[in-house]
Amino acid sequence: MVPYLFLAPALIGTIAFKLYPIFIGFWESLIYTSFSGGVEKRIFVWFENYQYLFDDKIFWKSLEITAFLTIIINPLQIAMSLGLALLLMRKSKFIRIIRSLYLLPIGIALPIATIIWGLMLDPNQGLINGLIGVFGIPPQPFLVSENQALWCIIAIATWKGVAFWMLFLLAGLEDIPKQYYEAAEIDGATPFQKFRYVTLPQLKRTILFVFVADTAANFVLMVPMIILTKGGPLQSTNVLIYEGYRSGFYYQDWGRSLSIITILTVITLIVIGLQLLFLSERNEGIKVK
Amino acid sequence: MKKILASLCTIFLFSNIVTSAKAEINFLIGTWAEEPLTPFVEAFEKETGIEVNIQTFPFRDLLATIEVRGNAQADDVDVIFVDAPLVPSYAVRGMIGPMDEYFADTSVNAIFAPAGIAAASWNGEMYAPPLNNSGQLTYYNKDLLAKAGCAEPSMIEAERVTWEEIVDCAKKITDEANGVHGFIFDQISRYYQLQALPESAGGGSGVCEGGLSVKGCLTNDGWMKAGQFYYDIHNTSNISPKGVGPDQTHELFGLGKIGIFVGGSWNNGRWADTDLNYGVALHPYFEGGKVVTGCNSWHIGVWNHSKQKADAAKLVRYLTASPDVAIHYVEEHNSLPAHNSAILHVAEDPKFNNFPGIVMNLATYESANHCATRGRTPGFLEFEEIVNTSFEDIRNGGDPASVLADAESRIESSMRRYK
Repeated sequence: MVPYLFLAPALIGTIAFKLYPIFIGFWESLIYTSFSGGVEKRIFVWFENYQYLFDDKIFWKSLEITAFLTIIINPLQIAMSLGLALLLMRKSKFIRIIRSLYLLPIGIALPIATIIWGLMLDPNQGLINGLIGVFGIPPQPFLVSENQALWCIIAIATWKGVAFWMLFLLAGLEDIPKQYYEAAEIDGATPFQKFRYVTLPQLKRTILFVFVADTAANFVLMVPMIILTKGGPLQSTNVLIYEGYRSGFYYQDWGRSLSIITILTVITLIVIGLQLLFLSERNEGIKVK
Repeated sequence: MKKILASLCTIFLFSNIVTSAKAEINFLIGTWAEEPLTPFVEAFEKETGIEVNIQTFPFRDLLATIEVRGNAQADDVDVIFVDAPLVPSYAVRGMIGPMDEYFADTSVNAIFAPAGIAAASWNGEMYAPPLNNSGQLTYYNKDLLAKAGCAEPSMIEAERVTWEEIVDCAKKITDEANGVHGFIFDQISRYYQLQALPESAGGGSGVCEGGLSVKGCLTNDGWMKAGQFYYDIHNTSNISPKGVGPDQTHELFGLGKIGIFVGGSWNNGRWADTDLNYGVALHPYFEGGKVVTGCNSWHIGVWNHSKQKADAAKLVRYLTASPDVAIHYVEEHNSLPAHNSAILHVAEDPKFNNFPGIVMNLATYESANHCATRGRTPGFLEFEEIVNTSFEDIRNGGDPASVLADAESRIESSMRRYK
């Protein structure tokens, strides 16, 4: 009984603030609100909202963009965070100052960072076009281009996110006993072999956590879309979370909005489940040799 | 001791009763209206003893907040700003209530211009009286036009400039290397302003008769012509810059970087302190097409879930029916009035016959004679959002025909809720 009592506050919090909203969201996704004849009617329609969604090409395009973003942004952020963490593990007189500099983006709120990046990426008066102009590169449209806007958002989110995820990896790296590296050196291991056979296996649990948390965070990334692109140009940055937000808050179609959010929740759970399955300790994918 | 305690308790209780008896109403407005309205709200508080808590929001956030509060049927809102075309949407969904009973002792026709009453009403009832009106004009940089050898657009109806003439002149002015463009819309990619294009080309408002469908009304020849025009000025002739938001356009014109600027009367005061050598003319139209300009503005309504509707209605009437508020908006903010007294004020004061005051006279003329009321539909919120996004997509290089077809299909799907 005592263990359950200790667990109770966390369990109550999880049920009240996680499971209950998910259930309510799912339940409301089965409701269709009609204003026919000027009278508001809430009608239980089973999965009709989902059926409409599956017939809607905007939804499929949005799903495609979300999948593309997920495939690109998560490995990119993890790789960059790990690379940065490894660089910052090097011994240097100024390492504390350098680490602090790299941590600066964490202290800037995402909306503020987005606005600053929006100004820098302005196709007419932006700093970035000024800089690339020095190298003879013509001005780029960036956020107003169907082909460049999503990449710009990936860059902004990565600039903001890498330092945060790096912190966890840095902590994980600090925890690896120095003796392992000394033993590897005595055995004549190259730097790559030390990374492959010592660092990666020892960092596996941290990487798994960062991977799962980063994936979940990027599935709900929409601040740059709200502030800079509104899902455009031509739907090119219209990820599922933004389409769900827009359906609810702009179009007032809460049945559609919550159907999208429910689908996104299921996709997130599946992707995270797969990550846990393939990267967990029980899996033999990466071995300490 | 007991007596002292009893007295203190009585005072405490009494003070609470007094405090709770003092009415306080919550008023949701746009950030741009805080400065003009605050003195009048303070005067209202003094006069009635009703406290008003003003809550300000930027345009898009204001609409989102109203929706969120409406869905929650929140009773902590009493009075809201209502964008004119949203009157049917809010009325149908029960977010604002009819106001006729609060104006029963007077004739609304004596207070407001007919167009304002029409925009405030749905199904024959007045839901949200107008605070002001709006009108669109052509502003031009005299120096840039002279340098390009263009004739200045006219204030005379018979010599009204056409869109074709605007494009011809703007091409001569555009000098992209120096950041100078020939033309820009004030409210880029916003239906409010761009509706004038398809209307002038004979395409209508985009909303079909009855207000419950857009099928064929957003993809007709007029809308296609308007879409192609909007595409061309940003992608073919490049007379208008991309990547500029509606908040930046008047600044670019003020800096002398734009030759011709089509925008609202309220812009006039923005260039008063600059060296800009500019003129004003009537709104353009397509050669052979209709003369049409954007109009209507913000209204104020009583929140239907409010527990203090009578007090809320007093504030609405105080702000909308007062000639002082309307004249203040004219004098200080170059906003067109919907109030008859203020319209008369503009007509009679000689300062509005000469530049720059003539802007108010011209805008009043445009609004009174060529006003295109925005599409009347209970689904306006969805309609406007999708049309705005579509214009922005066209501006960014999207094929007008397919973008408009997509928009029509999306809006038609969202309107099923109202049928």
